[in-house]
Amino acid sequence: MASCSRLPLHPFLCSVSVRLACNRNVQVEASTAKSLYPPILPSRTAKSKSAKRRVVTEHFEQLRSCTAQEKIRALTRVQRKKYVIYPQTFALNADRWYQHYTKTAFLNGLPEKYDPAPAVDESVLSEARDVVCSSILQQHWHAMKGRTFTQKEQEQLVSPFLRNAVCGLKNLLAKENPVLSLSSLDFDPQVSYYWLRAERTIPEGHRRGRVEPMRFQIEDKPHSQIRIPHQLPQFVPLEAEISAEVPIITLAPDLLPLFRRQYDNNIFIGAKLEDPCCYGHTQFHVVPERFRRDKMSKRGLSDQVELSLRASAIASLFAWTGAQAMYQGFWSEEDVSRPFVSQAVITDGQFFSFFCYQLNTLALSPRADCNNSRKNVCWGTESIQLYERITDGDIVGLNDTVLRLLLQFLLNNAQC
Amino acid sequence: MLVKMFKATVQRVSTSALKISQNRKSENFHSVLIMIPHGRCCLSTSSCLYGKILPRKKPRVVHEIAGLEPITYADRMHFVPGLAKPKFPPWERGWKEPNHYQSPKLEDMPLYKDKPCYIFNQRTNVLEGVRQALWLSKSVLIKGFPDQILTLAEDPANQIENQDERVQNAIKSSRLWDTTEHRPPRERFCPSLLNGLLHLCGGLQVTHPELAKRILAEKYSLAATWRRGEDVFQVRGQNGWLLNSMTPLPVLAGQEQIQSTADQALETFYPIAPTIDLQNTHVYQEKNDTGFREDYPYPHAHTLFLMEMGNAPKLLPEQLRAKMVMFTFGNALARAQALYGKEPSVLEKPIVVQSVATNGRLFQFVVFQLNTTDLQSDSGVKNLVWVDEDQPLYEFAKVKPLIKKKVVQVPAGLSGYQPDTFKKFLALYLHGAV
Repeated sequence: MASCSRLPLHPFLCSVSVRLACNRNVQVEASTAKSLYPPILPSRTAKSKSAKRRVVTEHFEQLRSCTAQEKIRALTRVQRKKYVIYPQTFALNADRWYQHYTKTAFLNGLPEKYDPAPAVDESVLSEARDVVCSSILQQHWHAMKGRTFTQKEQEQLVSPFLRNAVCGLKNLLAKENPVLSLSSLDFDPQVSYYWLRAERTIPEGHRRGRVEPMRFQIEDKPHSQIRIPHQLPQFVPLEAEISAEVPIITLAPDLLPLFRRQYDNNIFIGAKLEDPCCYGHTQFHVVPERFRRDKMSKRGLSDQVELSLRASAIASLFAWTGAQAMYQGFWSEEDVSRPFVSQAVITDGQFFSFFCYQLNTLALSPRADCNNSRKNVCWGTESIQLYERITDGDIVGLNDTVLRLLLQFLLNNAQC
Repeated sequence: MLVKMFKATVQRVSTSALKISQNRKSENFHSVLIMIPHGRCCLSTSSCLYGKILPRKKPRVVHEIAGLEPITYADRMHFVPGLAKPKFPPWERGWKEPNHYQSPKLEDMPLYKDKPCYIFNQRTNVLEGVRQALWLSKSVLIKGFPDQILTLAEDPANQIENQDERVQNAIKSSRLWDTTEHRPPRERFCPSLLNGLLHLCGGLQVTHPELAKRILAEKYSLAATWRRGEDVFQVRGQNGWLLNSMTPLPVLAGQEQIQSTADQALETFYPIAPTIDLQNTHVYQEKNDTGFREDYPYPHAHTLFLMEMGNAPKLLPEQLRAKMVMFTFGNALARAQALYGKEPSVLEKPIVVQSVATNGRLFQFVVFQLNTTDLQSDSGVKNLVWVDEDQPLYEFAKVKPLIKKKVVQVPAGLSGYQPDTFKKFLALYLHGAV
């Protein structure tokens, strides 16, 4: 057997070594001269970092020329364990964590477009008031029902109300906003998004010590959503300066807590790619029973109410808008060329909060995120009370601000 | 004593032997034998596989002798041989415990009546289908669609722009595009198809502002009682989605047609009783209720949407149509009794209720006109029912093509779309608003 002998390392390290000086000269000449031969690329099959880098780069280059369907298929094909984010979470202060994972800056209040509150026609407003009042009263008063089943109150009272209100308002406003009559309205759609963000070192197993990106999956089920065939206009330009910062969380997601599961990686806006209504307009969410305002305050978490609403809006809107951008063929290596916009309304029947989201970047993966100054923006209001209480057959203290906001959201017109 | 015990044992053994010999005759026994492993004690199965069913012991008859009080072991607080078992009065808990609630006997309930009531609820699967529903509601069947509604469908002013394309998109989005899986289950696509079609119809509010006077009620509970011959009947409970309206539907059949129904005979199906498959109960309340309060701003039932979901449907199309007839009748009757009181009479202004049922592909349309609440006798004016059955909206919606012998039988995607069915759906929706 050939004996394994070690060469002294010193001659290589020494910079005055003849061999190195010689080599250096050769390289300088080669770079200046017109190269006669194609550049020397790292091997594709070797077990080395440069080989791996080359394979990844080539794969990404090839992906750029594919259709959106193939891109989504290729990016979600490999299943690994991933952190699953459910927008409505019990975790405390989840909004900052979600902002970090989605690279979203949160701004209080609505975007400038809505801020001076564009005037809504009074006749439309009164008709909308009728629609909302009759759908609330139908559930709470006119339908003769016994006591609702425990833990099912939201399901039995709020979701039929929201359904009637959304359908009624949409039909009413179709006259003013022709996009709504071309739209498509889904109930209980499935919305999911899968992406890579930040890195972690694998703590154990045969790949211990290696660095890999963390995978995230959002699974969302809004109450209803309106999809339209044209895109909504942007709220701010793509490269605009955003005053708010994206919080940076250095802790592991397990501490939020998030849990890792492995199943199909889905990117889905509520319809497959063939659907012509592939842009989002507005989502409507119902706060689940256990996160209702009164139950949260019973648990001593009344300060968490707004935060959890905000977290749920950020996560679900990012998932929906991100999936829309992916459907148009953008992904982390091909960042969006135009911003994507969607809106959301979250309600527990009495309190409404309004959120707008603008997706400026999809480059969230550690590879693409190094020199990316863009960030996504979410605008949101605190929750506003729609009415004070319901007496027998009457609604006391109906708040017109909520109705106006609701109308403005639905009147948001697309670029046809 | 010993002899007695021995006799009892012998008797027990002989009875069990008798059981075995009886079992052996039955076909079951063969399969039972197969299940027993040879010479092995199979502890995972119960003793009944081995034919060791011991007859339940008869409780010993304790004779009560008048004037003699048995000596019990109540004060000793434990069993003592030779002393009688004490009898205690049943323990009253003193509060209501829902887990250990024992209902009183049916006869003792406050709502118990001697005369039984036959109840039609949403799970009732009537044997005779529409014929039975016609007898129960005392109606006359007219096949096909009413002409007034059909003309609505043909009018191009009442149609959505790009109607066919948009309907096909609605079908595709519920059948093909709705899920990340290959195909959505029927429980999912059936309501989503109906929602999609209603969404399309609602878009016509731009041209027909009357459509704003509608609202959908999902889980309402209906109760309507009537007498037919000697019996009491009811339509009870939750059913489908009810589209309510502020304005009543216009009457479809004129006075002449209503009067001519007096001559038509009701079809009977002797020897089968008309009450077959209805729920028979003695404890009931005679209740008439539309499910909504009196000051409800949308008091008129417009259309009832029923869905028959599941791949193994509970109701066959015929039975589904019977259910549609019965529930439209129930809605109309409850409304009539709220308007005109409980006295049976021929209505001055008949009440019309429509119904649409679907299983995600086939549509059934029923229009019911309640002319009379006098249902006791078979003679006189009758109600009218229009039934349009088994209208397919499309033939196939396939995710993968159906290939047999290397020939594509059915291509992937939507095929065999039939625009007339949606026109009928739209006409029913627009009826009363145009």
